[in-house]
Amino acid sequence: MNLLCVGISHHTAPLDVRERLWFSADEIRRTLPLLKPLGASESVLFSTCNRTELYVLTENGELKPEVLKNLLIAQKSGAETIQASDLFSLSAGDAARHLFRVAAGIDSMVLGDVQILMQVKEGLNLATEQSTAGFFMNRLFQLAFRVGKRARSESTIGEGAVSVSYAAVELAEKIFDDLKKKTAFVIGAGETAELTATHLRGKEVGRLLITNRTQERAQQLANKVQGTVIPFDHWCDALAESDIVISSVEVPQFILSPDDVKSLSRKQKYSPLFMIDLGVPRNIDPKIKDLENIFLYDLDTLNTMVDENLQHRKAEIPKVDAIIDEVLGELTQWYSSLEVNPTITALTQFMESIRQEELAKNINRFDPKDRELVELVTKRMINKIIHAPIVNLRKGEETSITERLNKMSAIQKLFGLSKSLKDDPHGG
Amino acid sequence: MLHLSYLAFRTIVFQHPPVTTIFEIFTVLAFSVTATYFIIELRSHRKETGYFILNIAFFFQLASSLFIKDTPEVPPILRSGLFGAHVSSALLGYAAITIAGAYGLMYLMLYHEMKATRFGIIYKKLPTLETLERMTFTAIKLAFILLGTAILFGIVWLYHVYAGAHYNDPKLIGTVLVWAMYGFLLAARKRFGMKGRQAMILSITGFLVSIFSMTIINIFFSGFHKFY
Repeated sequence: MNLLCVGISHHTAPLDVRERLWFSADEIRRTLPLLKPLGASESVLFSTCNRTELYVLTENGELKPEVLKNLLIAQKSGAETIQASDLFSLSAGDAARHLFRVAAGIDSMVLGDVQILMQVKEGLNLATEQSTAGFFMNRLFQLAFRVGKRARSESTIGEGAVSVSYAAVELAEKIFDDLKKKTAFVIGAGETAELTATHLRGKEVGRLLITNRTQERAQQLANKVQGTVIPFDHWCDALAESDIVISSVEVPQFILSPDDVKSLSRKQKYSPLFMIDLGVPRNIDPKIKDLENIFLYDLDTLNTMVDENLQHRKAEIPKVDAIIDEVLGELTQWYSSLEVNPTITALTQFMESIRQEELAKNINRFDPKDRELVELVTKRMINKIIHAPIVNLRKGEETSITERLNKMSAIQKLFGLSKSLKDDPHGG
Repeated sequence: MLHLSYLAFRTIVFQHPPVTTIFEIFTVLAFSVTATYFIIELRSHRKETGYFILNIAFFFQLASSLFIKDTPEVPPILRSGLFGAHVSSALLGYAAITIAGAYGLMYLMLYHEMKATRFGIIYKKLPTLETLERMTFTAIKLAFILLGTAILFGIVWLYHVYAGAHYNDPKLIGTVLVWAMYGFLLAARKRFGMKGRQAMILSITGFLVSIFSMTIINIFFSGFHKFY
C-alpha cells in the first residue's frame, strides 16, 4: 500500500489557476466516491483559499498521481486551461510530512496561519461522511492535528500579527480591555481600512461608524461589517464618540491637527484614543503622537511591526520541524506495525511466551518420560489456536487494505500486541 | 495559607501580633502583598502580572530573613490587640500601595513602549493599559481603606496608652499625606475622570512617599513612631 498526495498551492500555481481548482463541500462530496473504482482504498480532499489537496491510500502501486491529477481537473468545468504540471505530487513519507507542514501552518502563504487546521479538519469530516476515510486516514490526520496543536502551543509560530490590518487590531487590543465596549470610526473605505474594519467586527467591537466621500461605498462596507454610515460632511461629530479612529482618505493636507485632537481629548475626559493613519499622504498630523493618552500609528509603523513578527515566525520554523520529525517517527513506527508479518510474529511470540511460562511452572508435575509429550501437545494446541487468525490475516493481504487494517487492529487490541510491535515493528 | 498559618501560630506562641520587629514586619508585608494581589487577581481575572508582584513579595521575605533573630523582649504596650489591628491594617495598606505603585510603573513602561513604537518583551507580556489602570485603582481603593483604618486604630490606641501624646510624628504625618493623596486621586477619578499617565504618576508618587515615610524616617528617628 502507498500514500499519495496530489494538489495545487501558492507554491505551484498563481491565484487565477488555483481558484479554478477550488472545490466546494458539495464538489468534494461528489468527487470522493469516484476514487474508489480507480484503486483508492481511502481518500481525503480539502480546499482552502491557497490550496486544494487530495490524499489517497492506494491498494497497490498501480494508481499513478497523473490519474488523480486528471480526475481533479476533470471535475472542474472550465478548468481546461489547468495543466497537470500545475499540480504537485508526493508519495509515502513525503506526502505525510507535507500534510504535517500544512497542519502546522508552515506551508501556508501566511506563515503560521491558524485557520488551516480547521479547514483540514473539515476535509477529514467530509471524507468520514462519505465513508472514504478509514482506519489509516483517521490515524494520519489525527497525527496531523496533533502536529498543528503542538506547533501552536510549543512554539510561537502563530504569534504576532502578520498583516497591516491585523497589526492595527492587535495594537487596539493592547490598549483596550474589551473592544465590545468601544466605538471604532473608519474614515474612508479603502482596502486596508475595510480589512481592519472586518477584523474589528471579528473582535466584536461595540460600534463601527463608517464615512466615505462616496456614500454608496460607505454603505457597502457598512453592510458588510454591520456598521453605521456617517455622512461625510458630519464626520467630525462622530469623532467625539470614538475610541478608535482609522483614517485612509486621499487628501492633500492633514484632516486632524494637534489642536483638533486636544479639544477632542478634553471632551472625552482624556480617555485613551487609538488612531491609525493608513493614508498616503498621511491624513493625521504626526505631532499628535506627542499628546497624552493618544496613540497614533501610521503605515510605516504597522509595516515594521508586521516585518518583525514575520521574522520572528520564520525563526520558529526549526522548532516546528522538530515536532514534525517526532510525529513522523511515530507515524512510521505505526505504519510498519500495520504490515501482516509483524502482527503474525507478535501473535505467535505472545502465545509461545504464555506456553513457555505455564510449562516452566508446571512441567515438574509430570513424569520425566511424559515431558516431551507435554511439550509437543501444548505446541500443537497453540498452533491450532492461532492457525485460523493467521490464515484470515493472510487472506486480508489479497482483499482490501481497510479490511486488513481493521482485522489487524482488532487482533493487536484484543491480545495487547501494540507494545511488542512498537518495540520491534518488524517482528524481530 | 502556610504563611498565614505560620503568622497565626507565631502570634499564639509569643502572645503578641507579629509586628514588633523588622523581621516580623517584613514577613507580614510579604504576606500582605501576596494576599492583596490575590484579591486583585480575583477581581480582575488577569494573571500576567503575578510574576512581577510575587517578586516584590519575595524581596520583602528576603529582607525579613536577613533581619531574622531570636525574639527580643516585647514592651507590654505592643502586646495590645488594638495595636495589632493598627499595624496589620497599616501593613496591608502599605502592601496595597506597593502593588498600586508596581502597576503604575508597569502602566508607564507599557505606555512609553507603545508611544515609542517599541514592541518588545514588555509589550508582549503585560496586559492591556486599561487592565493595568483598573488594577492600579483597585489597589489604590484597598490602600485608601486600609490606611484609613490604620490611622483610626492608631489614634485610638495612642490615646489609650499615652494620654498626653502629641500627633506630630513624621510617620503619622507622612501616612496621612499619602492617605489624603490617594483620597484626592480617587475623588479626581470619580469627579473629573482622571486617568492614564497622570493618574499612574500619582500612584507611583504615593508609593515613593510611603517608602520615604517607612524607611528614611526610621533611619533618622528611633523606633517606628515618635510621640513622646
